[in-house]
Formats: sequence, structure tokens, C-alpha cells
Amino acid sequence: MRGRALAAFAAAGMALSAVPFFGLPAFYESFLYLVFHWIVLAASWNILSGYSGYFSFGHGAFFGAGMYTTATLATKSGVPFLWTLPAAGIAAAAFGIALGAVVFRLPRLRGELFALLTLAVTFVLATIVLNTPVDGGPGLYLSAVPLPAIGPSPSSTFYLLGLALALATLWIAREIQRSRLGTGLFAIHDDEDVAEVLGVPTYRYKLAAFGLSCGLAGIAGGIQAMFISYVTVGETFSIAVPLNVVLMSVLGGSRHWFGPAVGAAVVTALLYAFTAGDYAVAGRAAVGLILILVILFLPEGIFGELIGALKRRRVSVTPAIGTADLPAPSAARPGKSEGQGQPLLEARGLSKAFRGVQALAEVDLEVRRGEILGLVGPNGSGKSTLINLVSGHFRPDSGRILFEGRDLAAMEAHRIARTGLARTYQIPRPFAHLSVLENVALPAMFGRDALPRAEAGHEARRWLAFTGLGAKATSLPGELNLHQRKFLELARALASRPSLLLLDEVFSGLTHAEIDDAIRLIRAIRAQGATIVFVEHVIRAVMELTDRIVVLSYGRVIAEGDPRAVMREPDVAAAYLGKPHA
Amino acid sequence: MALPSLTLLGQSLLSGIFIGALYGLLGLGLSLSWGMLRQINLAHFALAFLGAYLTYQLAGAGMDPLATLAVIVPCFFALGALMHWLLARFSVSAFNSLLVTFGLTAIIEALIQWIWTADFRRMESAYGEVKFRVGALYVALPELLTLAMALALSLAVWAWLRHTHTGKAMRAIAEDAPIAAAFGVNVRRLSLLLSGLSAAFAGVAGLALALSYTLAPGQIYAWLGVVFAAVMLGGLGNPLGPLVAGIVIGVSEALTMAFTTPAWAPLVSFSLLIVVLLARPGRI
Amino acid sequence: MPAANQSVRAVFGALLALALAAHPALAAPSGPPVRIGSTLALTGPLAATGLVHKIVGEIYVEQLNRKNGLLGRPVEWVLKDDQSRPDLARTLYEQLITVDKVDLIMGPYATANILSAMGVAQRYNKVLIHHTFGTPSLAKYEMQFPAGGLAGDPDNTIPRLVFDALAASAMPPKSVAVVTSKFPSVHFISLGAREAAKKRGLREVAFLEWDFGNRDFGPIAARLKDAKPDFVWVGGLGLEGNLLIDAMRKIDYMPPLHFHLFPAPGPLLKAPGGENALAATTFEEHPPFTDNPIAVEFIRLYHERGAKAGLPDTSVENQSAISFSSWQTLEAAVTGAKSIDDKAIAQWLRKNPVDAIVGRLRWDGPFNYIYGTDLYKVKQNQQGKWVVIWPKEFAASGAHLVTP
Repeated sequence: MRGRALAAFAAAGMALSAVPFFGLPAFYESFLYLVFHWIVLAASWNILSGYSGYFSFGHGAFFGAGMYTTATLATKSGVPFLWTLPAAGIAAAAFGIALGAVVFRLPRLRGELFALLTLAVTFVLATIVLNTPVDGGPGLYLSAVPLPAIGPSPSSTFYLLGLALALATLWIAREIQRSRLGTGLFAIHDDEDVAEVLGVPTYRYKLAAFGLSCGLAGIAGGIQAMFISYVTVGETFSIAVPLNVVLMSVLGGSRHWFGPAVGAAVVTALLYAFTAGDYAVAGRAAVGLILILVILFLPEGIFGELIGALKRRRVSVTPAIGTADLPAPSAARPGKSEGQGQPLLEARGLSKAFRGVQALAEVDLEVRRGEILGLVGPNGSGKSTLINLVSGHFRPDSGRILFEGRDLAAMEAHRIARTGLARTYQIPRPFAHLSVLENVALPAMFGRDALPRAEAGHEARRWLAFTGLGAKATSLPGELNLHQRKFLELARALASRPSLLLLDEVFSGLTHAEIDDAIRLIRAIRAQGATIVFVEHVIRAVMELTDRIVVLSYGRVIAEGDPRAVMREPDVAAAYLGKPHA
Repeated sequence: MALPSLTLLGQSLLSGIFIGALYGLLGLGLSLSWGMLRQINLAHFALAFLGAYLTYQLAGAGMDPLATLAVIVPCFFALGALMHWLLARFSVSAFNSLLVTFGLTAIIEALIQWIWTADFRRMESAYGEVKFRVGALYVALPELLTLAMALALSLAVWAWLRHTHTGKAMRAIAEDAPIAAAFGVNVRRLSLLLSGLSAAFAGVAGLALALSYTLAPGQIYAWLGVVFAAVMLGGLGNPLGPLVAGIVIGVSEALTMAFTTPAWAPLVSFSLLIVVLLARPGRI
Repeated sequence: MPAANQSVRAVFGALLALALAAHPALAAPSGPPVRIGSTLALTGPLAATGLVHKIVGEIYVEQLNRKNGLLGRPVEWVLKDDQSRPDLARTLYEQLITVDKVDLIMGPYATANILSAMGVAQRYNKVLIHHTFGTPSLAKYEMQFPAGGLAGDPDNTIPRLVFDALAASAMPPKSVAVVTSKFPSVHFISLGAREAAKKRGLREVAFLEWDFGNRDFGPIAARLKDAKPDFVWVGGLGLEGNLLIDAMRKIDYMPPLHFHLFPAPGPLLKAPGGENALAATTFEEHPPFTDNPIAVEFIRLYHERGAKAGLPDTSVENQSAISFSSWQTLEAAVTGAKSIDDKAIAQWLRKNPVDAIVGRLRWDGPFNYIYGTDLYKVKQNQQGKWVVIWPKEFAASGAHLVTP
């Protein structure tokens, strides 16, 4: 697959780089250079903002950083133009990474606040460049900088540089989309917290994507500085760059590496389609109208719609794989049955408060290898908090969580996932834009075994078959009913092959028959040797499934032991009767 | 350099408040439709300028600039509702609304240029000449009007959302439209109402622009960056947000200009903004 | 809208003119047309002035074709819209030269776009006559010819002109404030003004720079009010001067004298508070400029066309006059060189001056610029009209610098 794509890229590159040698008028080379230029900017923006949904409005800052790096090095330090380009890329990437290293640590700086921050950074950078010797006001003039003769003429040199960078950018964007990094970024787009808990190192991934995105924009800026040969603050840091890259990506389709390229080509072509002096004003209106019509009728973007149509056709041709053909899933952790009854997870003195409300107070808890432990208690007793602490969703205020001898309390959530711990959410939180299959393959890729993509797909299909979702593999989660979404949660947790499975109210909202199904499923999981902690309100399921229960009330353990015995204890009855669950 | 006088300080402070009020007025409709309907309406700026040009035209025909609101506000309300109908008819997503309204901006810009040419237009009105003296400080009527309109509209929307039945229903839509619909809220009608209001606010902002500024079609984009910043900083859908955030930006820039080289102004206001975001990742 | 009607009529008129031009019996010139290519900022932030240059170009080409064209051949103007963007200007000039294969090119509007066009012209060895290039030191091409009347060192000539005018006035200023945009082509001239003021012993009471695109001039106005200068040098571009005047009026302050470097002349003329504002120009609608019959005829046509295009201000002043002069330069050079060959045209221009409506244009200095002298004059807004008041020999009859 990659070999063929590489060959296709090489062929396209070779064919396109022959263009300047056909004696085409220079205008077409320059025009195509600008197309390539915008492809680089839009596709690089898309690596972070399209894939992961971190909508940057500061692409102009990184582009500008590259522009000024090249302009400064070439005019003031006499560095040969080509050598300034890597510097431009590195400067922009370093700037992006430094910014990201601060911003990505603050989980609430998402959505429009990230957009705002990147926009503000653009203004700040512009002001600094304007008022310091970097520029100081008069602009930098590059006409005296020698342009290497890569092509037969200057315009063909720019054409070839643009082509090379555009191909490289698209290749990088494509590789990312198909790699672990891309999978993680798309998961971050839909639900960053869940992605982290499933094992995606979200911080590092965002940083990597941002760095690449900025670096590529920086190189594009370096070339552009030479192309326009007069760099001023007003033109460089204008709102036009971020606005254009957003429009291009949306127009082409931002969920595919090639979408922004299509958008960039269309927008640039439209720009030149209406430059006749007599119809300048009408031309502007025409461009506006075309943009509106395209996006109204192709809401996924031009290329996005195309891909969608192709996919739909492919799906209708190939029948869903019969689940009967698949081998039964192997044990969740094969060979882990030794040491039955030994503690697998131990919580010691675990406390957590939210805005002064003590959700958990000095909780001690032990989960033994191979058992099903029921965690019960009225609403607000701290059950879900406990799961959230163990899975790394929150950090405890104090206490230790020992899992197979390692302390999870200070560990990042994605590392916890890799130790072999998986959880489900009470209200299913699937990745809305990923197919059911992709949803389940992701934890297989990011769990303890870190399976390669193809194997993760196989693994996912197995667990889909196991949970009865085999026929829904290509559906989007939104097309599933609640029951199926609950099972999707389960399949997703199982696909990481955990040794400890934390189930948060899998039965709530299910009908009687569906609960029977689920009980059967959990028994099957247990039969394969997994240890299960499950939080539950449905007492029937608790009684039928658990070996032991722990009762929480107001953040404290009030009883533990054999389910039937514990439920008869007066404290427990009071806790339940006093505050019956919804 | 001598210490700046208290008059200078006070006058700069006022100047910052007034320009901030204009940011807030321009941002109000943008923030409401973005926060509550998930429509990022770039065309809001073009609408404001269209409103300004219409004010200019009507005032030129002898109407009082304030009276033009009686014509412009209903027209823009209808225009906004129509735009929402179009976006809803094609169920345009937040991202895509950015593109659609960008296209609309280009069309409105072309329309303005076709009717009024690209040359500068300046409304002449009696209001422009009126100013009041408060101690050593001066306050010009157009700016005072801008601040009054921004305050009145922001507070009215705030009170509407907080204290009336339809306002609460509107907030329910912003939280979760399908659930609001399930509780019997007429989502369609209220969304049309809000879009109409947002566009009408653009018309009012247009009046403020026409009162204080010389108009040219290319100016449409000049306000985009800073108003977007005010809207996002103020919190999407928060009716008081754009005004408060706008004044914070305006005042910090004005004070910088009063004390140092004015060219450094954006650095101070936007660094401040970044620090606020980093230190307290919430809103003003 | 009446303006819409006018546009329809304008289109109609243009079609009619086109039909007439194409009709061989009615047009004197014959043969294949000489095609002249250029771009202008017809949309985008610079479009207000772009429109002026479009109207002037249309008038000039029409007049040419009514006479003998260029070398007896009709003239066709291929005009494109660069949307006020330098990157677009660059590629469109390449399109004009390599695809449309025009015979000659003319400059676009404003410094950044002209610089872009200059790079293209240099690669294809085309003569580039241009009118609105603000930073002469960046023009490093031997076949570019500025026809805007600016010296090679405007940072010396313009401040000298202005301070000479002030010194000769009834109230020579003793203190000065220099406030300026950091827009490149404005900024360096403002720095020159600082130097000039210092040399003449004026006390600088304020020096303020703002970012181009600044919206809030209140604090700058308040600082000027505090500094109480006798004279304010406003290095503003376009509407910036207006914004500053508005802001100063709002706090009940106007400096006794204020000069505006590159204002939008129409709005500054009409602005309350714009009375007695000073600016630089090469041409105004009064003698001695209107002693030239060509100028008179141009003024008549421009009034007519400007009104038809819906311009709020149809008087001829600096922008339209230097635009016209650049076309005069082209015509004179082609006629003088008897050729549309770029090298021949360039050679002729370097040796021969051209008498344009803005005065005598010469290109016999380094990179075709003349240092130390230019065609600029100081004008003042007096009772709603721009009148030249310095140097004396160009002043409108009886006009002198009015001081408060």
C-alpha cells in the first residue's frame, strides 16, 4: 500500500517537475507555485487543526516567522537562500512547540479559546517584529538575494520549490493520517479525555502535530519571502493567511489529507478566474456565490464528499464479514490465570475533593486477580470518582493506587492504559466521527500490546463479533442504539486486552432482555481470565455476577465482602433506603 | 519624558472605553449567533458596513441618523432571519457557516462597491459636532451614543435571556437544541428570532460606524481580528462578554498608547489576553 | 439607487466607446493595436485610489485613440484587478507579459504592488513607468521610470519643502510634534522630517509612532494636546490623518498648523477640522497648473467621468494628475523613440525630459531618480478647497499659508 502510494507520489512529482521544460509561459508556473504554496499552508494547518480539531487562527504567525527568518538571514547575514529554508522551518516549528508546550498543558484551552490564543499570538508577534530591529518598520527587501537556478527560469525555480514542498507536505499529511499519530489525532478531535484514557499520549501527539504543522508553514513562508521579495509586517501577519487556510480546508474537506489541497487549488483558481479589470467587482461577488453554493451542496467539502461517495459504494459492494467465520476471541490476558486471588490492584488512603466536597475519603480497596468485584453505593457515593482516579482521568489529592506493583496515582492516563487497565463510561463516549471498527481498533493500537494498525483491525473485528456488533463495523456510532453503544464501550475496553477491566454501569438504561445479554457477555469475559471491577445500580446483576462487593457511601467504604451477606448489613440497607437511587 | 498628565490619563481611558464599546457592539450579534446557534457569522462585519452605508445614504436624503434605525433594524432583522433560514435549510455546520458567510461577505462587499464605489464616504451629521465637557475631559456625542447603544443592547439581551420565558428557552436551545425541542421549545422560531436580532445588532453597529468613521468597502476586514478576539474572550453567547472584553482590550491599548510608543499597543493588550488565558483558562 | 443607474449607463457608455474604437472609419489610427498591460487595485483596501487611476487610464487611452494612437496604431489597455495584493500583482504582470503578450506595461498602484511588478519587468526587460512608488531607495532597476514627480530622496525634499513653507509663513513654528504611521513608505519620510526639524532648531515636543491599521487615535490626540506643539507633522496614510483630526476635535483641540503626508484628499478636504490642513501635491485645479490646455481638457473629462462613475469628489489633484502624467510619459517616450521597443523607450527617457501636467519630469539620475529636487508643492485646505501656497511661483493667485 505504502509502496504504491510512494510510487504514485514519485510519478506525480516527476511528471510535474517536467512542466518547466515544456516552455510554458512563466505565468502558469507562478500560478501553480501559488497553488502549491497554498496547498502547503492549508494541508499543514490541517495536520493539527483538521485532524485533531485544535482550530488554530495563528497560522499566519508561523508562516510569518518563516518569512522573517529567511528574509533576515538572507539579507542581514548573507546566508544563501536555500540554507535559510530549513532555518525558517525550524524557527517556526520551535515557536509552535514552545507555544504548544505551555498551551497544551492546559486542558481547558480548547475550541475557540485555542483559536483566540493563536490569534493573539499573531498580533503579539507582529507588534514585536514591527517595533524591533527584526524589521522596525521599513520592511525587508530581498531583490539582491541571489536565487539559485534550480529551474530554467526564476519562476520555474519557485515552481519546483513549491512543488517539492507541496508533495512533501502532502506525503507527511498522508503518512500521519495513516499512522498511530493520525489515529490518535482523530480521536482527540472527537473526545480528548477518552483518547487519553484509551492510551493516546495526547500531549505529545498534539505537540508533534503542531510542530510539524508550524514547521511546514515556516518553510512555505521562507519561499514566499523570496517570491514576493519584499516582506512587510502588514502584508505578512494579516488575517488573510489564517482565514484562507481555514476556508480552503473546509472547502476541500478537512478530514482527509488531500482535502485541503483540493480546496487550495479551487480557491486559488477562483482568485485568478475573475481578475479582468472591467468585471472586478462582479468577479468578487461571483467568487462569494460559488463558495456558498459549493459548501451548501457539498457539506463535507469537495474532496470529502468524493471520498464519502467512494466509500459508500465500496461498502455496498463488499458484504459485512460474517461473524461466524471469526475464531472466538482469545482470553483477555492469556496466561494470567496464575496467582488467582492475589491482589492485582490496591488503593491505599485514596482521597479526592471537588471544590470542597469530599468525593472520596481515605478509601482502602483491594481487587484480587481473577475476581469480579462489585462497587455499589447510592448516587454520589464516589464510585465513579474511584474509577476516574484509577483510570487516570483525575489525580487523587492523596493516597496510592498500586497496580501490579506500580503506583498509578502520579501516572498520566495514557500510561495507565498501557499497564493493562481499561474502563467503560456510564454514558457511552464513542469517537463520533470514527467508524465502530476504528473505535475498537484504537485501544488495541494504544493498549499494552500496542498492536500495529492491521493487527489492531483484526483484533477489533474479533471483539465486535464477540459483542455482536460485527455487522455494524462500518457504521458510525451515531447510528447505533443505546444497547449497541454500551456494547461498543465494552468492545473498546476489551480490545486493549486488559488484565483489569473497570465497568461503569454497563447495565443502566438497558431492558431486561438486554441485561441478560450483558450478563452472559461479562461471564464470558471473566471465563477468559480477566479481572473485573464493576460499578452497578442494577442489584440483580450485582448478585448474579460478583464474587465480592464493596459498598461506598459519602466517599467512604462502609462494607465489603460476600454480596449476599453485605447487602443484609444494616448500614448498607440504611445507605440505600435512606437515599434510594434514581 | 514628563509624566503624563491626569487629563491625558483620563482622556485616554475614555477613548479606550469608547473604542471598546464599539468592539462590543460589533461583537454582540457575532457572539450570540456563534454561542447559541453555532453559526460563525463572518458576514456580520459586512452587514455592519452595509448598515453604515445605508445610514449614510438615508441621512444624505435628509433623515436623522438615529431615525434611520427605524428602517434599518426591521430590514436587517428580516435579512438575518432569512440567512438563518438558509443555513438551517441546508443544516450548515459551524465550520461550514464560516465559509458560507465568507462568501456572503464577498457578495455584500461587491454590492457596496457597486452602489457606492470604492471611494471614501463620510456621513455628515449634526451629531458629529456635539461634545460635552466634564471637568477637564471631553466626551463626544457619537462615542457616547455608541457606548449607550452597546450598553443598552447588551443589558437588554442579558435581561431577556435571564428573566423572560423566551430568553430561558433560548438558553435551553444553546445548551442542547434537541432536548429543548423535546421540552416543547419552538427551536425553529427562536433561532430565527435570535438570528434576526444578531443581524439587527449589526445594523445598529453600522450606525455607530457611520457616526464616527469614514467608510470604504475594504474596511470591512479591518475590524475582524480584534472583534473576534473580544468575542472569544468574552465567552461565546454571553451577551455582556463582548462589551466587557472589548473595553478591556480598548482600555489596555489606550493606556499603552498614552504612556509609551503607540505602536506597542497591540503587544500589551494581546499579551495581557494571553496571560489571562494561561493563568485562568476561562473567561473574563 | 441613482448610483446603480449610473453604473449601468457607464457600462453602456463603455460599450459604445468600444464599438466606436473598433470601427475603422471613425478611428484615425490603424493596424494591429499596441497593447498596454497593467493591474490596479480595483478591489480590496486600496480600491478607493485604484479607481482614480482606472478612470484616468481610460480617459487617456480614449484620447489617444481619438488622435493618432501610438505611432499610428490604436491602443488597447489590458487592465486586471490585483485586489490590492502584491503576490497577485506579480503573477498578473507575468500573465500580461507571458500569456497576454502585451507590448508595453504600466505600473500598478502603490509601493508594494509596484515593487512586485518591477521584479517581473526586470526579468523580462520591460520598461516600467509608474506613478505611486513611495520608497525610491528600493527601485534597483535601470528600466523603471517614476512619473509621480517624487525625488530619489523624498525624506529630504518633502520635509525641506514643508519647513520652508512654514518658515516663510506669518507664524513660523518653534516647536514640532512628529506623529507617524509605521507604514514603510510613510515612516522614513517622517523620520526625515524629524531630522529636518532638528537641523532648523525646532523643539521636538512629541514623537509618536503607531501601527498601520490603528483604530484608536484618542490617546495620541490627548498626548498632542498635552505637548502643545506649534506644528504637527502627521505621517498618515489614507484615512489615518482624518482619524487623528476627528480624535483631536473630540477633545476640543486643534494644533495651529498640521501637515499630512499622504492623506485621502477628498475626505480631508471635507472633514470638520480639516480647515487649514497642509498636504503635499503636484497639481491642483488652479493656475499656474491650469495654464496648460491639456490639463484643462483633462480636468473637464475627469469631472465628467468621475461623476459618471459615482465618485463623491471629482476634482483633479495629486493622484489623478500623476496618473495622467505617467501616461503622458509613455506617449512621449514611444513617440520620441518612434518604437515600442522597451530598450529604445528606456534610452529615450533617460536622455529626454517630458513636460507633463505636473511639470517637467526627468530621469537622468541614478536608477532614473533625481535627488534633491522634486515636483511637490505644499497645499492648504482653504475654505473647502485645496490651494497651493508654496513655493510662491506655484501658489494660487493671492494665496498664502493661512495661520490661525
